[in-house]
Amino acid sequence: MTLLSTATAAHLAPTRRRAALPPLPVVLSLVFVALVIAWSLVPGLFTGHDPIAGVPADKLLGPSLAHWFGTDHLGRDLFARVVFGSASSVTSALIAVVIGVLAGGLIGLVAGFLGGWVDTVLARFVDVLLAIPKFLLAVIVVTAIGFDTINAAIATGVSAVAVFARVMRSEVIKTREATFVEASFLSGGSRWHILLRHVLPNASRSVLPLGVLHFGDSILVIASLAFLSYGDPPPASDWGLLISIGKDYPKWPWLVYAPALVTIATVLSVNRISRWLRTTD
Amino acid sequence: MNSAYLTYAGKRLAQAAIVILLAYVFTFVVVSILPGDPITSVLRNPQNGFSEEEIAQIVAAQGLDRPVLEQLWSSLSGFLTGDLGLSMRSHRPVTTMIAEVLPSTLILATSALFLALVLAVVVAYGTQVLPKRYGQGLLRAFPSLFLSVPNFVIGLVLIHLFGFQLGLFRVINPDSAWATFFAAVTLAIPISAQIAEVLIASLDHEADQDYIAVARGRGLRPFRLFTRHLLKPSSLPVVTVIALTIGELLGGSLITETVFGRTGIGSHVQRSVSTQDLPVLQAVVSLAAVVFVLANLIADLVYPLLDPRVKLLGARTPRSPASKPAGASAP
Amino acid sequence: MAPHDRLTTAFPHNVQVDRPTPLLHVEDLNVSYGANRVVTDVGFSLGRGKSLALIGESGSGKSTIARTVLRLLPGATRVKGRVSFDGEDILGLSERRFRPLRGRAIGFVPQDPGNALNPVRTIGSQALEAAALADERDPRIARERILETFAQVGLDNPQRVYDSYPHQLSGGMLQRVLIGLAVLPRPLLLVADEPTSALDVTIQKRILDLLSRLQHDLDISLLLITHDLAIAAERADSIVVLKDGSVQEAGSTATVFAAPSSPYAKKLHADVPALNPHRYATLRDPGFRRLGDDGQAPKILVQNLTKTFEVDGNVLTAVNDVSFSVPSGTTHALVGESGSGKTTTIRLLLGLEQPECGEITVAGETITGRTHRSMQSAWRHLQLVYQNPFTSLDPTWTVERLVREPLDRFKIGTPAERAEWVRAALVDVGLGAHLVTRKPQALSGGQRQRVAIARSLVLRPDVIVLDEPTSALDVTVQADIVAVLLELQAKLGLTYVFVSHDLALVRQLAHTVSVMRHGRIVEHGTVSDIFENPREPYTVALLQSIPSGAASPVRARTVRPAVQPVFGQEQIA
Repeated sequence: MTLLSTATAAHLAPTRRRAALPPLPVVLSLVFVALVIAWSLVPGLFTGHDPIAGVPADKLLGPSLAHWFGTDHLGRDLFARVVFGSASSVTSALIAVVIGVLAGGLIGLVAGFLGGWVDTVLARFVDVLLAIPKFLLAVIVVTAIGFDTINAAIATGVSAVAVFARVMRSEVIKTREATFVEASFLSGGSRWHILLRHVLPNASRSVLPLGVLHFGDSILVIASLAFLSYGDPPPASDWGLLISIGKDYPKWPWLVYAPALVTIATVLSVNRISRWLRTTD
Repeated sequence: MNSAYLTYAGKRLAQAAIVILLAYVFTFVVVSILPGDPITSVLRNPQNGFSEEEIAQIVAAQGLDRPVLEQLWSSLSGFLTGDLGLSMRSHRPVTTMIAEVLPSTLILATSALFLALVLAVVVAYGTQVLPKRYGQGLLRAFPSLFLSVPNFVIGLVLIHLFGFQLGLFRVINPDSAWATFFAAVTLAIPISAQIAEVLIASLDHEADQDYIAVARGRGLRPFRLFTRHLLKPSSLPVVTVIALTIGELLGGSLITETVFGRTGIGSHVQRSVSTQDLPVLQAVVSLAAVVFVLANLIADLVYPLLDPRVKLLGARTPRSPASKPAGASAP
Repeated sequence: MAPHDRLTTAFPHNVQVDRPTPLLHVEDLNVSYGANRVVTDVGFSLGRGKSLALIGESGSGKSTIARTVLRLLPGATRVKGRVSFDGEDILGLSERRFRPLRGRAIGFVPQDPGNALNPVRTIGSQALEAAALADERDPRIARERILETFAQVGLDNPQRVYDSYPHQLSGGMLQRVLIGLAVLPRPLLLVADEPTSALDVTIQKRILDLLSRLQHDLDISLLLITHDLAIAAERADSIVVLKDGSVQEAGSTATVFAAPSSPYAKKLHADVPALNPHRYATLRDPGFRRLGDDGQAPKILVQNLTKTFEVDGNVLTAVNDVSFSVPSGTTHALVGESGSGKTTTIRLLLGLEQPECGEITVAGETITGRTHRSMQSAWRHLQLVYQNPFTSLDPTWTVERLVREPLDRFKIGTPAERAEWVRAALVDVGLGAHLVTRKPQALSGGQRQRVAIARSLVLRPDVIVLDEPTSALDVTVQADIVAVLLELQAKLGLTYVFVSHDLALVRQLAHTVSVMRHGRIVEHGTVSDIFENPREPYTVALLQSIPSGAASPVRARTVRPAVQPVFGQEQIA
């Protein structure tokens, strides 16, 4: 009997969960993400070098103890530029995720819960957003509202709305038809009560790991926009912009590799955390 | 092919057409109606060097002096008759411009899709066929690793390694087969990671199903078990993923073409963005929407033919009183 | 000529008939998943042509043992001990050397037939794999043998079955296919893991009969995994009772079943409804006295209820002219198999669906034709307990909040009173106060169902509708829940509508019964009317499907008759 087998699985579940501390890669990921957040909050604590004013005599030095990531063509310490650039890279990814989760979540919640013509209209709108490639959509939006880092973040958020809307809608529909929702209805629950107390918390459970995953994704999209110079111009030091500048100095490859590795490590850590959140829930 | 299938196909076709039209309108709305007047501000940018007369000419030719709704209407009716208007930058018909660069992008995108599929299939099937000790963990890490690497970094690394160090292609005028190959690899890697991720999850899910255990209990060898039982049901979701990621080939070409210095749709977009060349942007967006919508349409139409369980999805959520009585009355 | 004599000529490994060594011998078996030990020191023997049942509830390790014998355990499992098959220790064999035994010498019938065949391949193409095990390489002959086997396991249209995809057949038909595929290569041992628990009761009996018949006609040993003591007693020569992975009691069916000695086996025996029809007689008696009380208006009155659904353009009458009444303080059982309309009937009763015609009155209030808003007042007195406690409780809520929800929603009492009532309701269902801060995930199935019952009780309703409230639970848990329900009825005078497919359970607890089939009530009456003097053939068939624990006619046959051989002469030629 199918019920019996779910019962068995659920019996085993709690014992397994209690034993599960985050595995080592997840702990490392959490530590690294915490480090990056610390960089963006108090960059001055992590480096004594000035990210904007360089020492022309020290230009294009290789990585050393004095300059961990080397120096750029103006003699600026690259590590300092990466650390100071993390603020806008991280903040803008956060803005993008918040826009995506809030706008997409709201659209999905309303469409899934109300159903009917509201659902049809919103579903078409989401279809349109999905039909435009994400990166192209972000580029179009940032074109319309102007080139700077915050606008790039907004554009990235808009391009993620469709995905969140779709996941939220399907979760809401799934939850709405769950037995416990009908049970609440029989217990005298009104539509609002059911929406806010039962449907929203349950549907959000799978949207949270997706939000974390999109945080990593947003870092990539924003870096790409910065790479194409759609973000703040130099001397800003967004990671994508650093890589874009570095590519013009192919003989000094650390100018590309250092900021690229930081970006990759951040996104990788965030993705690992998201995967962990998904499996523990 | 019965009449139910044709009705279903017709309905999906109509939906597809509506989405394409709406995508066109959406781009127009985003670029023309959002705050600021990017178009005239670009025209008046002294760097572009337009004289007042030229500006007036362009404004008149593009109909920028007319009310927005009227502009939308004329633009939309042009779109419906296949006229995509004139580029604001070069004053040439957008259709011609797109047609010129389409082959280059098409070659890049199709070879990237092919590479992505091959890579994904090798990785995903490898996780099932390889013994646990040898390399399975590495293969399983592949998708999340490559989803974390920015596209342009892959391109730069490939150029650095194979262009500068090994000299396989010239970096400045990269029209060789090697240059195209590495550009396609750049474009393929993130997409293959997405396909591989879905494929691995699907393989794991199906391998866990009872019917696999029962087939093993029938004495099948692992290889036959894989080819005869696991392969088909677990590969079906790939149809859907390809349809969903196909649009990203166009989005990704924007970066890839810029990094590799290729002329194509992506590099056109890149240039049109800096000059706010709305007609070109709209054309590219509609092209992307057409590709995406057609790919999904084909996927939806093919799926019922591949999977015997899927009945015709006239109603996407089949309702029966036994399975979902709550749907009729729940709030 | 006895059937197995004929078969030995075709299958050489069947030659030795009665060797003293058992066919399957398990000794000191220990299995663990990670740090979790699921089987501890288990041992048993199964002789040739004999049958043995492993009985246990969820978590008893019975399925793990079955999969150990087949070596179908997941990779991360550690196995210690000896499992010898036909004199050879199969745990020590390499996968390559064991594979020829799988399917060919040891056949497997799985639990859930709906998921046991590849969904995207035809049944015929999968059957050919089984035929290949019987060394049948010629596809034409293989196909013929498959079609014959299908006919012999009772499939009406073998050709159609051969060409079908799994989703096109019913569960009973699929289980016949799977049994056919398992016996096609003529194994020495058949491992059947809960082969009927996913099927309707009348189908269950037929499948079990088929298994017994094949076992005897083909001289196959049967290792039967089941949670049902009565089924085990009917079908097996010996029984092993398992709990938490270790053997509680083992021996011949006659001893273990008739005179269980271990405490757990005794409890199991006492908790099986089919074996103890009068277990709750004293708790139930007040209700019977009320039945005789004619002056009172019935608590529930259902008249001429009809409800249709439209499915794929066809109109399906789910409930057809159904009428019944329930006196206050009694239990009315709606009995039927899947698709009989019993679930739709209670949804109409609760006002969750509206009927096309008919009328429902509960405690003098009309239910039919009301809006959802006005139903709210009715639900204060009319509550539902769902079948599956794993889906009926919001996983994000605590027990306390779940049980308090109806009080909060209907705004009954002060916060202090509500807390007190919640506590009282939990005490009523036998749950300790330490559970109130837990979420459903941290509760067992039985505890969850108690929470669900407490939630429906907290409003002090007159009527509780119970939709198969124990079918997702183990039999000992079921007995506890049933006891709680009947005690509450005796204490509070509750009226129950009890929906079930389990007639043995109904016989234990109901006062009146309606038997439903295809949306109609085919027979109704008091519980003794129905169980002692059934008039409808369908009711009789349902009653016969209750496992009685008495050995089945097939198994009781000591001399194998030449009549009705399962495999005909022609296929050997």
